[in-house]
Amino acid sequence: MPKTNWSRCLNDGARTEDDVETIYTMVKYPARALMVVALCATAWACGSSAPTAQLVDARRAYERAQLSPASQYTPDDLLTARQALDRAEAAHEEDPGSSTEAHLAYLADRKAQMAEARGEIAQAKAVEAKARAEYQSRLERTAESSQQALSKTRSELDSAKKAQSSAEAGRLEAEKRAAAALQSLSQVATVKEEQRGMVITLAGNVLFPSGGDVLSPIAQQSLDQVAKALEEQSPETPIVIEGHTDSRGSTATNDSLSQRRAQAVANYLATRGIDASRIQAVGRGENQPIASNDTTDGRASNRRVEIIVGGQSSAQGATFGAAAKPTPGGAAAKSMPQQPPPAPVPAY
Amino acid sequence: MTPLTRFALPLGITVAAIGCGGSEMPAKQLAETQSAVRAASEVGADDNPRAALHLKMARDQISKAQALSREGENEAAKQLLQQAEADAELALALTRVEQADRNQKNAENQLESLSQ
Repeated sequence: MPKTNWSRCLNDGARTEDDVETIYTMVKYPARALMVVALCATAWACGSSAPTAQLVDARRAYERAQLSPASQYTPDDLLTARQALDRAEAAHEEDPGSSTEAHLAYLADRKAQMAEARGEIAQAKAVEAKARAEYQSRLERTAESSQQALSKTRSELDSAKKAQSSAEAGRLEAEKRAAAALQSLSQVATVKEEQRGMVITLAGNVLFPSGGDVLSPIAQQSLDQVAKALEEQSPETPIVIEGHTDSRGSTATNDSLSQRRAQAVANYLATRGIDASRIQAVGRGENQPIASNDTTDGRASNRRVEIIVGGQSSAQGATFGAAAKPTPGGAAAKSMPQQPPPAPVPAY
Repeated sequence: MTPLTRFALPLGITVAAIGCGGSEMPAKQLAETQSAVRAASEVGADDNPRAALHLKMARDQISKAQALSREGENEAAKQLLQQAEADAELALALTRVEQADRNQKNAENQLESLSQ
Protein backbone atom coordinates (compact mmCIF):
# COMPACT_ATOMS: atom_id res chain seq x y z
CA MET A 1 0.00 0.00 0.00
CA PRO A 2 1.40 3.31 -0.96
CA LYS A 3 2.56 5.52 1.77
CA THR A 4 0.09 8.22 2.82
CA ASN A 5 1.81 11.41 3.80
CA TRP A 6 -0.30 12.30 6.87
CA SER A 7 2.16 14.46 8.54
CA ARG A 8 2.81 16.65 5.54
CA CYS A 9 -0.89 17.05 4.95
CA LEU A 10 -1.52 17.96 8.57
CA ASN A 11 1.45 20.24 8.78
CA ASP A 12 1.07 22.58 5.91
CA GLY A 13 -1.21 21.13 3.31
CA ALA A 14 1.51 21.50 0.72
CA ARG A 15 0.92 19.73 -2.56
CA THR A 16 3.79 17.82 -4.14
CA GLU A 17 4.17 14.93 -6.51
CA ASP A 18 3.16 12.74 -3.56
CA ASP A 19 -0.31 14.14 -4.05
CA VAL A 20 -0.67 11.95 -7.10
CA GLU A 21 -0.10 8.96 -4.95
CA THR A 22 -2.50 10.30 -2.42
CA ILE A 23 -5.20 10.68 -5.01
CA TYR A 24 -4.55 7.17 -6.13
CA THR A 25 -4.95 6.00 -2.58
CA MET A 26 -8.17 7.91 -2.25
CA VAL A 27 -9.59 6.20 -5.28
CA LYS A 28 -8.55 2.82 -4.06
CA TYR A 29 -9.72 3.24 -0.50
CA PRO A 30 -12.66 5.66 -0.61
CA ALA A 31 -13.46 5.60 3.09
CA ARG A 32 -9.91 6.22 4.14
CA ALA A 33 -9.62 8.88 1.46
CA LEU A 34 -12.64 10.72 2.73
CA MET A 35 -11.20 10.84 6.19
CA VAL A 36 -7.90 12.10 4.92
CA VAL A 37 -9.58 14.80 2.88
CA ALA A 38 -11.60 15.95 5.89
CA LEU A 39 -8.55 16.05 8.13
CA CYS A 40 -6.54 17.90 5.56
CA ALA A 41 -9.28 20.42 4.94
CA THR A 42 -9.66 21.12 8.63
CA ALA A 43 -5.95 21.44 9.15
CA TRP A 44 -5.54 23.68 6.16
CA ALA A 45 -8.39 25.90 7.23
CA CYS A 46 -7.29 26.22 10.84
CA GLY A 47 -3.54 26.37 10.49
CA SER A 48 -3.26 28.70 7.58
CA SER A 49 -5.98 31.11 8.72
CA ALA A 50 -4.11 31.86 11.94
CA PRO A 51 -3.26 35.57 12.03
CA THR A 52 0.28 36.79 11.98
CA ALA A 53 1.86 37.84 15.26
CA GLN A 54 1.66 41.43 13.98
CA LEU A 55 -2.09 41.18 13.49
CA VAL A 56 -2.54 39.73 16.96
CA ASP A 57 -0.54 42.66 18.38
CA ALA A 58 -2.47 45.15 16.29
CA ARG A 59 -5.83 43.84 17.46
CA ARG A 60 -4.72 43.95 21.07
CA ALA A 61 -3.28 47.46 20.68
CA TYR A 62 -6.50 48.67 19.14
CA GLU A 63 -8.57 47.20 21.96
CA ARG A 64 -6.37 48.99 24.47
CA ALA A 65 -6.65 52.27 22.59
CA GLN A 66 -10.42 51.94 22.52
CA LEU A 67 -10.51 51.69 26.32
CA SER A 68 -8.06 54.58 26.71
CA PRO A 69 -8.81 58.33 26.92
CA ALA A 70 -8.40 58.39 23.13
CA SER A 71 -12.07 57.49 22.68
CA GLN A 72 -12.97 60.73 24.44
CA TYR A 73 -10.11 63.05 23.53
CA THR A 74 -8.78 61.92 20.13
CA PRO A 75 -11.54 60.01 18.35
CA ASP A 76 -10.03 60.95 14.96
CA ASP A 77 -6.77 59.18 15.75
CA LEU A 78 -8.74 56.21 16.97
CA LEU A 79 -10.63 56.13 13.69
CA THR A 80 -7.38 56.23 11.73
CA ALA A 81 -6.16 53.28 13.79
CA ARG A 82 -9.41 51.44 13.14
CA GLN A 83 -9.03 51.98 9.40
CA ALA A 84 -5.44 50.73 9.49
CA LEU A 85 -6.58 47.65 11.38
CA ASP A 86 -9.38 47.11 8.85
CA ARG A 87 -6.82 47.13 6.03
CA ALA A 88 -4.73 44.57 7.86
CA GLU A 89 -7.81 42.42 8.48
CA ALA A 90 -8.73 42.68 4.81
CA ALA A 91 -5.25 41.55 3.83
CA HIS A 92 -5.62 38.70 6.25
CA GLU A 93 -8.93 37.68 4.66
CA GLU A 94 -7.43 37.82 1.25
CA ASP A 95 -4.16 36.11 1.91
CA PRO A 96 -3.80 34.86 5.48
CA GLY A 97 -0.32 34.98 6.92
CA SER A 98 1.03 36.99 4.03
CA SER A 99 3.78 39.51 4.38
CA THR A 100 1.30 42.20 3.29
CA GLU A 101 -0.88 41.27 6.26
CA ALA A 102 2.11 41.42 8.57
CA HIS A 103 3.19 44.77 7.16
CA LEU A 104 -0.28 46.35 7.36
CA ALA A 105 -0.80 44.90 10.85
CA TYR A 106 2.54 46.38 11.92
CA LEU A 107 1.38 49.80 10.75
CA ALA A 108 -2.03 49.29 12.41
CA ASP A 109 -0.36 48.38 15.70
CA ARG A 110 1.70 51.59 15.67
CA LYS A 111 -1.35 53.67 14.72
CA ALA A 112 -3.29 52.19 17.62
CA GLN A 113 -0.49 52.92 20.08
CA MET A 114 -0.20 56.41 18.64
CA ALA A 115 -3.95 57.02 19.11
CA GLU A 116 -3.62 55.92 22.72
CA ALA A 117 -0.59 58.17 23.27
CA ARG A 118 -2.28 61.17 21.71
CA GLY A 119 -5.40 60.56 23.79
CA GLU A 120 -3.23 60.59 26.91
CA ILE A 121 -1.56 63.81 25.79
CA ALA A 122 -4.90 65.47 25.16
CA GLN A 123 -6.24 64.31 28.50
CA ALA A 124 -3.18 65.53 30.38
CA LYS A 125 -3.44 68.88 28.63
CA ALA A 126 -7.13 69.16 29.49
CA VAL A 127 -6.47 68.36 33.14
CA GLU A 128 -3.55 70.79 33.16
CA ALA A 129 -5.64 73.57 31.62
CA LYS A 130 -8.35 72.99 34.19
CA ALA A 131 -5.86 73.12 37.05
CA ARG A 132 -4.29 76.31 35.69
CA ALA A 133 -7.69 77.94 35.23
CA GLU A 134 -8.69 76.96 38.75
CA TYR A 135 -5.39 78.33 40.05
CA GLN A 136 -5.98 81.59 38.23
CA SER A 137 -9.52 81.96 39.44
CA ARG A 138 -8.51 81.19 43.00
CA LEU A 139 -5.81 83.84 42.79
CA GLU A 140 -8.39 86.29 41.50
CA ARG A 141 -10.84 85.32 44.19
CA THR A 142 -8.17 85.82 46.84
CA ALA A 143 -7.31 89.22 45.42
CA GLU A 144 -10.96 90.09 45.23
CA SER A 145 -11.67 89.13 48.81
CA SER A 146 -8.64 91.10 50.00
CA GLN A 147 -9.97 94.02 48.03
CA GLN A 148 -13.37 93.57 49.60
CA ALA A 149 -11.87 93.34 53.08
CA LEU A 150 -9.90 96.48 52.38
CA SER A 151 -12.87 98.46 51.16
CA LYS A 152 -14.95 97.16 54.06
CA THR A 153 -12.32 98.40 56.50
CA ARG A 154 -12.23 101.69 54.65
CA SER A 155 -15.96 102.15 54.77
CA GLU A 156 -16.03 101.21 58.45
CA LEU A 157 -13.36 103.81 59.08
CA ASP A 158 -15.34 106.32 57.06
CA SER A 159 -18.56 105.68 58.94
CA ALA A 160 -16.70 105.81 62.26
CA LYS A 161 -15.35 109.21 61.25
CA LYS A 162 -18.78 110.28 60.15
CA ALA A 163 -20.32 109.10 63.41
CA GLN A 164 -17.65 110.97 65.30
CA SER A 165 -18.18 114.17 63.41
CA SER A 166 -21.95 113.84 63.63
CA ALA A 167 -21.63 113.29 67.38
CA GLU A 168 -19.50 116.40 67.47
CA ALA A 169 -22.08 118.22 65.39
CA GLY A 170 -24.82 116.94 67.68
CA ARG A 171 -23.01 118.22 70.72
CA LEU A 172 -22.51 121.63 69.14
CA GLU A 173 -26.14 121.62 68.09
CA ALA A 174 -27.27 120.82 71.65
CA GLU A 175 -25.12 123.61 73.04
CA LYS A 176 -26.58 125.97 70.49
CA ARG A 177 -30.11 124.91 71.36
CA ALA A 178 -29.42 125.33 75.08
CA ALA A 179 -28.03 128.81 74.48
CA ALA A 180 -30.96 129.70 72.23
CA ALA A 181 -33.42 128.42 74.81
CA LEU A 182 -31.82 130.58 77.48
CA GLN A 183 -31.85 133.49 75.11
CA SER A 184 -35.59 133.15 74.45
CA LEU A 185 -36.11 132.81 78.17
CA SER A 186 -34.72 136.28 78.70
CA GLN A 187 -37.96 137.66 77.25
CA VAL A 188 -39.95 136.44 80.24
CA ALA A 189 -37.25 136.30 82.87
CA THR A 190 -33.80 137.55 83.66
CA VAL A 191 -31.02 135.04 83.36
CA LYS A 192 -27.81 135.55 85.21
CA GLU A 193 -24.76 133.43 85.69
CA GLU A 194 -23.87 133.70 89.32
CA GLN A 195 -21.53 131.93 91.71
CA ARG A 196 -24.40 129.78 93.03
CA GLY A 197 -25.30 128.69 89.46
CA MET A 198 -27.38 129.96 86.64
CA VAL A 199 -30.20 131.99 88.13
CA ILE A 200 -33.47 132.48 86.29
CA THR A 201 -35.54 135.14 87.95
CA LEU A 202 -39.25 135.40 87.27
CA ALA A 203 -41.17 138.45 88.40
CA GLY A 204 -43.73 137.52 91.07
CA ASN A 205 -46.53 139.81 89.85
CA VAL A 206 -46.42 138.04 86.50
CA LEU A 207 -46.60 134.58 88.07
CA PHE A 208 -49.16 134.93 90.87
CA PRO A 209 -52.07 137.12 91.80
CA SER A 210 -51.43 139.24 94.84
CA GLY A 211 -51.26 137.05 97.95
CA GLY A 212 -52.08 133.89 95.95
CA ASP A 213 -50.11 130.81 95.03
CA VAL A 214 -51.96 129.70 91.87
CA LEU A 215 -50.07 130.18 88.64
CA SER A 216 -51.68 132.51 86.12
CA PRO A 217 -52.06 131.36 82.50
CA ILE A 218 -49.37 133.82 81.46
CA ALA A 219 -47.13 132.44 84.19
CA GLN A 220 -47.67 128.94 82.81
CA GLN A 221 -46.59 130.07 79.36
CA SER A 222 -43.46 131.63 80.81
CA LEU A 223 -42.73 128.47 82.79
CA ASP A 224 -43.22 126.35 79.64
CA GLN A 225 -40.33 128.26 78.17
CA VAL A 226 -38.33 127.77 81.33
CA ALA A 227 -39.08 124.05 81.22
CA LYS A 228 -37.90 123.92 77.62
CA ALA A 229 -34.68 125.69 78.53
CA LEU A 230 -34.15 123.35 81.49
CA GLU A 231 -34.70 120.31 79.25
CA GLU A 232 -31.77 121.39 77.17
CA GLN A 233 -29.50 121.26 80.19
CA SER A 234 -27.91 118.11 81.44
CA PRO A 235 -30.66 115.95 83.04
CA GLU A 236 -28.63 115.45 86.23
CA THR A 237 -28.28 119.09 86.99
CA PRO A 238 -30.07 119.89 90.26
CA ILE A 239 -32.60 122.67 90.29
CA VAL A 240 -33.46 124.81 93.33
CA ILE A 241 -36.58 126.93 93.24
CA GLU A 242 -36.73 129.77 95.71
CA GLY A 243 -39.75 131.86 96.52
CA HIS A 244 -39.27 135.46 97.71
CA THR A 245 -41.70 138.12 98.95
CA ASP A 246 -41.55 141.81 99.80
CA SER A 247 -41.64 142.94 103.40
CA ARG A 248 -45.33 143.74 103.62
CA GLY A 249 -47.37 141.43 105.87
CA SER A 250 -46.17 139.18 108.64
CA THR A 251 -42.98 137.24 108.34
CA ALA A 252 -44.77 133.97 108.92
CA THR A 253 -47.28 134.70 106.19
CA ASN A 254 -44.51 135.71 103.82
CA ASP A 255 -42.46 132.59 104.61
CA SER A 256 -45.45 130.38 104.07
CA LEU A 257 -46.52 132.17 100.90
CA SER A 258 -43.01 132.08 99.38
CA GLN A 259 -42.77 128.35 100.17
CA ARG A 260 -46.15 127.60 98.53
CA ARG A 261 -45.27 129.69 95.49
CA ALA A 262 -41.92 127.94 95.07
CA GLN A 263 -43.68 124.60 95.39
CA ALA A 264 -46.32 125.65 92.83
CA VAL A 265 -43.56 126.46 90.32
CA ALA A 266 -41.77 123.19 91.11
CA ASN A 267 -44.99 121.21 90.62
CA TYR A 268 -45.71 122.88 87.35
CA LEU A 269 -42.21 122.24 86.02
CA ALA A 270 -42.59 118.61 87.06
CA THR A 271 -45.69 118.36 84.85
CA ARG A 272 -43.58 119.76 81.99
CA GLY A 273 -41.16 116.90 81.93
CA ILE A 274 -38.59 118.03 84.48
CA ASP A 275 -37.73 115.19 86.84
CA ALA A 276 -39.24 116.11 90.21
CA SER A 277 -36.37 114.51 92.08
CA ARG A 278 -34.05 117.14 90.61
CA ILE A 279 -36.14 119.96 91.98
CA GLN A 280 -36.04 121.39 95.45
CA ALA A 281 -38.57 124.08 96.40
CA VAL A 282 -37.58 126.57 99.12
CA GLY A 283 -39.46 129.54 100.66
CA ARG A 284 -37.23 132.46 101.56
CA GLY A 285 -39.97 134.86 102.65
CA GLU A 286 -38.89 138.47 102.81
CA ASN A 287 -35.37 137.66 103.98
CA GLN A 288 -33.48 138.20 100.75
CA PRO A 289 -34.68 141.36 99.04
CA ILE A 290 -32.85 142.45 95.91
CA ALA A 291 -34.29 145.97 95.98
CA SER A 292 -35.67 148.49 98.48
CA ASN A 293 -39.02 147.61 99.99
CA ASP A 294 -39.75 151.30 100.33
CA THR A 295 -40.78 151.81 96.73
CA THR A 296 -43.45 150.15 94.63
CA ASP A 297 -40.91 149.15 91.98
CA GLY A 298 -38.52 147.85 94.61
CA ARG A 299 -41.24 145.75 96.26
CA ALA A 300 -42.26 144.41 92.82
CA SER A 301 -38.67 143.34 92.21
CA ASN A 302 -38.50 141.61 95.56
CA ARG A 303 -41.64 139.58 94.83
CA ARG A 304 -40.03 136.94 92.68
CA VAL A 305 -39.24 133.31 92.08
CA GLU A 306 -35.66 132.29 91.39
CA ILE A 307 -34.79 129.09 89.62
CA ILE A 308 -31.17 128.17 90.32
CA VAL A 309 -29.73 125.61 87.95
CA GLY A 310 -26.61 123.60 88.73
CA GLY A 311 -25.78 125.33 91.95
CA GLN A 312 -26.89 125.70 95.51
CA SER A 313 -29.64 127.74 97.15
CA SER A 314 -28.99 131.36 97.91
CA ALA A 315 -28.86 131.04 101.71
CA GLN A 316 -25.63 132.95 101.78
CA GLY A 317 -26.48 134.91 98.63
CA ALA A 318 -26.13 138.64 98.48
CA THR A 319 -28.97 140.48 100.21
CA PHE A 320 -30.11 143.99 99.77
CA GLY A 321 -30.12 146.27 102.80
CA ALA A 322 -30.36 145.15 106.39
CA ALA A 323 -33.88 143.87 106.15
CA ALA A 324 -33.07 140.36 107.28
CA LYS A 325 -35.32 139.39 110.10
CA PRO A 326 -34.97 136.52 112.54
CA THR A 327 -36.60 133.49 111.00
CA PRO A 328 -39.22 131.77 113.08
CA GLY A 329 -39.41 128.03 113.35
CA GLY A 330 -42.38 125.90 112.31
CA ALA A 331 -43.70 125.94 108.78
CA ALA A 332 -40.69 127.78 107.38
CA ALA A 333 -38.10 125.57 109.05
CA LYS A 334 -37.17 124.19 105.68
CA SER A 335 -35.97 127.58 104.60
CA MET A 336 -33.53 128.06 107.44
CA PRO A 337 -30.72 130.01 105.84
CA GLN A 338 -28.24 128.45 108.20
CA GLN A 339 -28.96 124.98 106.85
CA PRO A 340 -28.84 125.00 103.10
CA PRO A 341 -29.38 121.70 101.33
CA PRO A 342 -26.15 119.94 100.51
CA ALA A 343 -25.01 121.19 97.15
CA PRO A 344 -24.76 118.39 94.61
CA VAL A 345 -21.74 118.36 92.39
CA PRO A 346 -22.60 120.23 89.20
CA ALA A 347 -22.64 118.15 86.06
CA TYR A 348 -20.50 120.66 84.28
CA MET B 1 34.71 77.26 -17.34
CA THR B 2 32.06 79.12 -19.20
CA PRO B 3 29.03 80.36 -17.30
CA LEU B 4 26.94 77.78 -19.07
CA THR B 5 29.01 74.81 -17.96
CA ARG B 6 29.30 76.30 -14.50
CA PHE B 7 25.50 76.22 -14.32
CA ALA B 8 24.89 73.04 -16.24
CA LEU B 9 27.35 70.79 -14.47
CA PRO B 10 25.86 70.87 -10.96
CA LEU B 11 22.39 70.68 -12.49
CA GLY B 12 23.35 67.61 -14.42
CA ILE B 13 24.78 65.97 -11.36
CA THR B 14 21.65 66.78 -9.37
CA VAL B 15 19.37 65.43 -12.05
CA ALA B 16 21.47 62.28 -12.24
CA ALA B 17 21.34 61.86 -8.48
CA ILE B 18 17.57 62.31 -8.37
CA GLY B 19 17.18 60.00 -11.29
CA CYS B 20 19.28 57.27 -9.72
CA GLY B 21 17.56 57.70 -6.32
CA GLY B 22 14.15 57.56 -7.89
CA SER B 23 14.79 54.39 -9.71
CA GLU B 24 16.63 52.47 -7.04
CA MET B 25 15.53 53.99 -3.77
CA PRO B 26 12.34 55.80 -2.69
CA ALA B 27 14.40 58.90 -1.85
CA LYS B 28 11.52 61.16 -0.90
CA GLN B 29 10.09 58.56 1.43
CA LEU B 30 13.51 57.96 2.93
CA ALA B 31 13.95 61.69 3.57
CA GLU B 32 10.54 61.90 5.22
CA THR B 33 11.25 58.93 7.43
CA GLN B 34 14.65 60.26 8.43
CA SER B 35 13.07 63.61 9.23
CA ALA B 36 10.48 61.88 11.44
CA VAL B 37 13.32 60.14 13.30
CA ARG B 38 15.11 63.46 13.75
CA ALA B 39 11.95 65.13 15.04
CA ALA B 40 11.45 62.41 17.64
CA SER B 41 15.10 62.60 18.64
CA GLU B 42 14.91 66.37 19.02
CA VAL B 43 12.04 66.24 21.51
CA GLY B 44 14.08 63.81 23.62
CA ALA B 45 12.75 60.42 22.54
CA ASP B 46 16.16 58.87 23.26
CA ASP B 47 15.69 59.63 26.96
CA ASN B 48 12.32 57.93 27.24
CA PRO B 49 12.71 54.13 27.41
CA ARG B 50 9.57 53.25 25.46
CA ALA B 51 10.12 55.97 22.88
CA ALA B 52 13.79 55.06 22.56
CA LEU B 53 12.82 51.47 21.74
CA HIS B 54 10.63 52.59 18.84
CA LEU B 55 13.22 55.07 17.70
CA LYS B 56 15.76 52.25 17.53
CA MET B 57 13.29 50.14 15.55
CA ALA B 58 12.85 53.02 13.12
CA ARG B 59 16.59 53.45 12.66
CA ASP B 60 17.17 49.72 12.20
CA GLN B 61 14.43 49.50 9.61
CA ILE B 62 15.83 52.46 7.71
CA SER B 63 19.22 50.72 7.48
CA LYS B 64 17.56 47.53 6.39
CA ALA B 65 15.51 49.40 3.80
CA GLN B 66 18.64 51.02 2.41
CA ALA B 67 20.28 47.61 2.14
CA LEU B 68 17.24 46.11 0.43
CA SER B 69 17.11 49.06 -1.92
CA ARG B 70 20.69 48.48 -2.92
CA GLU B 71 19.72 44.94 -3.79
CA GLY B 72 16.84 46.26 -5.87
CA GLU B 73 14.16 45.13 -3.42
CA ASN B 74 12.34 48.44 -3.64
CA GLU B 75 8.90 47.19 -2.68
CA ALA B 76 10.19 45.61 0.52
CA ALA B 77 12.29 48.71 1.19
CA LYS B 78 9.21 50.91 0.86
CA GLN B 79 7.28 48.82 3.36
CA LEU B 80 10.14 48.96 5.83
CA LEU B 81 10.36 52.72 5.49
CA GLN B 82 6.63 52.99 6.17
CA GLN B 83 7.06 50.93 9.29
CA ALA B 84 10.08 52.99 10.31
CA GLU B 85 8.10 56.20 9.91
CA ALA B 86 5.23 54.80 11.99
CA ASP B 87 7.73 53.90 14.73
CA ALA B 88 9.36 57.32 14.62
CA GLU B 89 6.00 59.06 14.90
CA LEU B 90 5.04 56.81 17.78
CA ALA B 91 8.34 57.61 19.52
CA LEU B 92 7.54 61.31 19.22
CA ALA B 93 4.02 60.85 20.61
CA LEU B 94 5.28 58.76 23.53
CA THR B 95 7.80 61.45 24.43
CA ARG B 96 5.10 64.08 24.35
CA VAL B 97 2.96 61.95 26.68
CA GLU B 98 5.71 62.13 29.27
CA GLN B 99 6.00 65.89 28.86
CA ALA B 100 2.24 66.42 29.05
CA ASP B 101 2.09 64.33 32.22
CA ARG B 102 4.86 66.41 33.73
CA ASN B 103 3.09 69.67 32.85
CA GLN B 104 -0.14 68.34 34.30
CA LYS B 105 1.60 67.42 37.53
CA ASN B 106 3.20 70.88 37.74
CA ALA B 107 -0.15 72.58 37.31
CA GLU B 108 -1.72 70.36 39.94
CA ASN B 109 1.12 71.04 42.37
CA GLN B 110 0.75 74.75 41.79
CA LEU B 111 -2.94 74.52 42.55
CA GLU B 112 -2.20 72.36 45.59
CA SER B 113 0.17 75.02 46.90
CA LEU B 114 -2.73 77.47 47.16
CA SER B 115 -4.71 75.18 49.42
CA GLN B 116 -1.93 75.05 52.00
